Amino acid sequence: MLSLQHISKYYQVSGLKNFVLNDLSLEIDQGEFVSIMGPSGSGKSSLLNIIGMLDEPSEGYHYFAGHAVHQLKEKQRSALYKQYIGFVFQAYHLIDELTVYENIETPLIYQDFKGAERKAMVADILDRFNIVGKKDLFPAQLSGGQQQLVGIARALIAKPKLLLADEPTGNLNSKQGEEIMELFRKLNKEDGVTIIQVTHSEKNAEYGSRIINLLDGKIESSKQL
Amino acid sequence: MIKNYIKIAWRNLKRNKAYAFISVAGLALGITCGILIFTLITYHLSFDNFHKNSDRVYRLYTEWHDDGIGRSHGVPQPLGKTFRNDFTLAEKTARVISFHDNLITITQGNQVKKFKEDNGVAFTEPEYFDILNFPLLKGDKKTVLVKPGEAIVTEKIARKYFGDDNPIGKVIRVDNKVNFTVTGVLKDLPANTDRKQQVYVSYGNMDEYTGSKKREDNWGGVFSGSEVFTLLKPSTTMESANSAMALIVKKHYTGRDLQVWKFKLQPLSDIHFNSDLDGYADKKYLWALFFIGLFLIITACVNFVNLATAQALNRAKEIGVRKVLGSLPHQLFWQFIAETALITFVAVILAIGLSFIALPAINNLFESQMTFKLFQLSVFIMLISVLVVFLSGSYPGLVLARFQPILALKSKLSQKHVGGFSLRRILVVTQFSISQVLIIGAIIIVSQLHYSQTTDLGFNKDAVVLLPIPQQDKAKLSTLRNRINEVQGVEKSSYCYKAPAAQSNNSTDVNFNHRGEDEHWGINTKQGDENFLSTFGMKLVAGRNFFPADTTHEFLVNETFVKKLNLKPQDVIGKMLAIDGKTIKAPIVGVVKDFYNYSFHTEISAICIMPDYRSYSTLAVKINMRNAKTSLAAFEKIWNETFPEELYSYQFLDDSVGKFYEMDNIQLKLVEAFAGIAILIGCLGLYGLVSFMAVRKTKEIGVRKVLGADTMHILWLFGKEFTYLLLIAFVVAAPLAWWAMHNYLQDFKYRITIGPGIFLTSILSTFIIASITVGYRSVMAATANPVKSLRSE
Repeated sequence: MLSLQHISKYYQVSGLKNFVLNDLSLEIDQGEFVSIMGPSGSGKSSLLNIIGMLDEPSEGYHYFAGHAVHQLKEKQRSALYKQYIGFVFQAYHLIDELTVYENIETPLIYQDFKGAERKAMVADILDRFNIVGKKDLFPAQLSGGQQQLVGIARALIAKPKLLLADEPTGNLNSKQGEEIMELFRKLNKEDGVTIIQVTHSEKNAEYGSRIINLLDGKIESSKQL
Repeated sequence: MIKNYIKIAWRNLKRNKAYAFISVAGLALGITCGILIFTLITYHLSFDNFHKNSDRVYRLYTEWHDDGIGRSHGVPQPLGKTFRNDFTLAEKTARVISFHDNLITITQGNQVKKFKEDNGVAFTEPEYFDILNFPLLKGDKKTVLVKPGEAIVTEKIARKYFGDDNPIGKVIRVDNKVNFTVTGVLKDLPANTDRKQQVYVSYGNMDEYTGSKKREDNWGGVFSGSEVFTLLKPSTTMESANSAMALIVKKHYTGRDLQVWKFKLQPLSDIHFNSDLDGYADKKYLWALFFIGLFLIITACVNFVNLATAQALNRAKEIGVRKVLGSLPHQLFWQFIAETALITFVAVILAIGLSFIALPAINNLFESQMTFKLFQLSVFIMLISVLVVFLSGSYPGLVLARFQPILALKSKLSQKHVGGFSLRRILVVTQFSISQVLIIGAIIIVSQLHYSQTTDLGFNKDAVVLLPIPQQDKAKLSTLRNRINEVQGVEKSSYCYKAPAAQSNNSTDVNFNHRGEDEHWGINTKQGDENFLSTFGMKLVAGRNFFPADTTHEFLVNETFVKKLNLKPQDVIGKMLAIDGKTIKAPIVGVVKDFYNYSFHTEISAICIMPDYRSYSTLAVKINMRNAKTSLAAFEKIWNETFPEELYSYQFLDDSVGKFYEMDNIQLKLVEAFAGIAILIGCLGLYGLVSFMAVRKTKEIGVRKVLGADTMHILWLFGKEFTYLLLIAFVVAAPLAWWAMHNYLQDFKYRITIGPGIFLTSILSTFIIASITVGYRSVMAATANPVKSLRSE
């Protein structure tokens, strides 16, 4: 599904290259559930951002669903991204001014779904996530776990093939974390969504099918579970 | 999508009430000024534009080319007749001679009603109503005013005089001299015309009214109320008409007058604006107003941009999330435009309300009857809304749309991503430059008016009551004066034509000391009796006052007269002075110290003062103000007993002198109001900016306090910034204001100099206002507990 070849990301500080990712290559197939681990500053988030096209690598080749991402124009990349990728954040990043319903609906608006269609899709996902009763509440009125649930629902609403999660349980207690992980496993197994998550927790990492350990911008180890 | 934009815009505004309030208030104030100024300007541009063929309608006027060029919108009385009879250039030509403050008497049975008509009575040839579009409601247009003894009045006047009775056939008496029968009723005059007369009477009665036939053939003098309007044929150009005028001069003047006299045509559309003649609204001032309006709107937009970009950081997260969810930059841009549009919409609604409230006050100020023209105004409001939305929405929109989502989500956006602080500095400097220009303008106008009100005018204007004298009957005059002088509190009194400074003036030719040629300048004649000098507190610099007399046997002149002759005051004493085509000749016996006989706008004229009871139209009474009430009551009683047929009125001299500065006072009030609004909008912006700074600097302030900074140090963080900005604004504003006000003062012949004090006052007052605005938020920020602000990081 996606392939990174010789990817580097660095910042130039007074002539010296400061590498965040250093000549990293990685292949991920459709249907995988990959956990990326590593100490702080090892480049986990940068890697995720590059996969998610939120950031561009300094060097290297990036292929996604048969497209050479490094050659695409901003607009095409945005179209590709909208079609395939959903993002979940550690800090949920819900829009405070919108209700649960509207938060979930927003990606559909940007993808030009018609009103009636949007309504049906949002209703469907609210139902699936069991948050119908909360649809008119604002993010501030929800607990962390509930907010993350909304965040995931929002990421999934447009039926992405790839779900990227940056420490999705980082701000949650262990029980809430477990629920989210169960949900991920289910999505992966039943709906065939490819998932890449960044995590600090060994336990959460083991929900996945592969664990990649990063150190200083390079893949230190990779093991199939 | 739009619905979504509007919805989130609305919730955003609800969440940030202070921000919304400041933005809306600033825009509303700016737009209100825009609407009012637009209404004012279109009102003036609409003057007399409703006449048919108005592009072919002209007024004749007089120019004198002697020492300098003099102009009058009046013409010699025979000019209109000659132009009509000797040339075929015009379709219609009409003479109209108007007087002011006429007394109209109506007798119904035993009841006598008296009315004073400020706008007076016009002796009018019937063609006048073919040239100008003032339709008749009653009466036959073909016959009205053709025969002598007819009058037509407006509906308003008809109602005032006769109530609900049919006015046709009723008799009105003008100034107790001539009777007229009403034969027509005019539709009420529209507000946008300079033709203010509401009572028109037959031209044929002019001689009867003035009591002499001389005027009809007098080419030598001009009465400013004697006007001629003409409707040129479509084939006639203004040039060919002007050359016809040259032929008229050739035929009717001789000698030096051939070079001096000129008659010209003035287009109808020029009349309202030409201040060389009797134009009311100089286009220069309309332009100034236009720019003030534009500046105020710009200030309001600047304010908005300022606040919006400051606010942008707070919204970074939302923008980042939206981008991650797939929003394209242009979608974010439009979202922001929608938000601006919503704010603008609310501001426009408010502004319309405010304008409706403010319009009566403005009408009151200008004594005008402006109304909102719905169509014009709605087009203007639409245009201005779109302009405001894009002017103020596009910059913040672009900034927001260009945010890097990753940085935004990590709250790593800094000021340089939102246009930086320097942009907002420039905006605040712009705002404060504009308000400083207006403040300096207001201070200079105030100083000039103060100067003209407190400078020694050369005569005493306090505690002098002016009573009108309607009849020049020697016996009555002498009894009246004796009785007035006996009233308690009366110190002195004098009969005169008008006070030393008056709106109404007579000028005539000068022949000094039997010289072969008349002087190339005119002399202002002031008729007054032997008490004129003492009543008005004027001083002699040479010679003596004239002896009591009823007619002119001796002259007094002023210093300017002497200066124009290049002589010393002593040298003119005893010399002969001849005026009015040498019909009045007498020796000069004294020279009075110069006094301001007009406003400070006009140079002091050469003046002669002499007794002539036939010209007396005023009794000036110097009173003791402590008894003013009883004195005034006594005057009224005595006056009414002396002139039972007339209508009593009185005026204080200082009020009448104050009338000279009516326009200046209006300008002052306008500039004050606009300066006030500009400051207010500027302060709103400043407050928004300092709030933003306080939030941004929370951590810095916390750290500084932990390191031992005291409150004053922290306050200086803010103070330094704004001091700096205000100083730059001042440097920008001062030369601009100096230039504008230097031009303004050119309209005054006697004026203040623009000194450093004025600029100092301006910057000081701005400083104080800004400090108060910035103060509260700064103190709040400076006194906050550092532990709290650091922990939250």
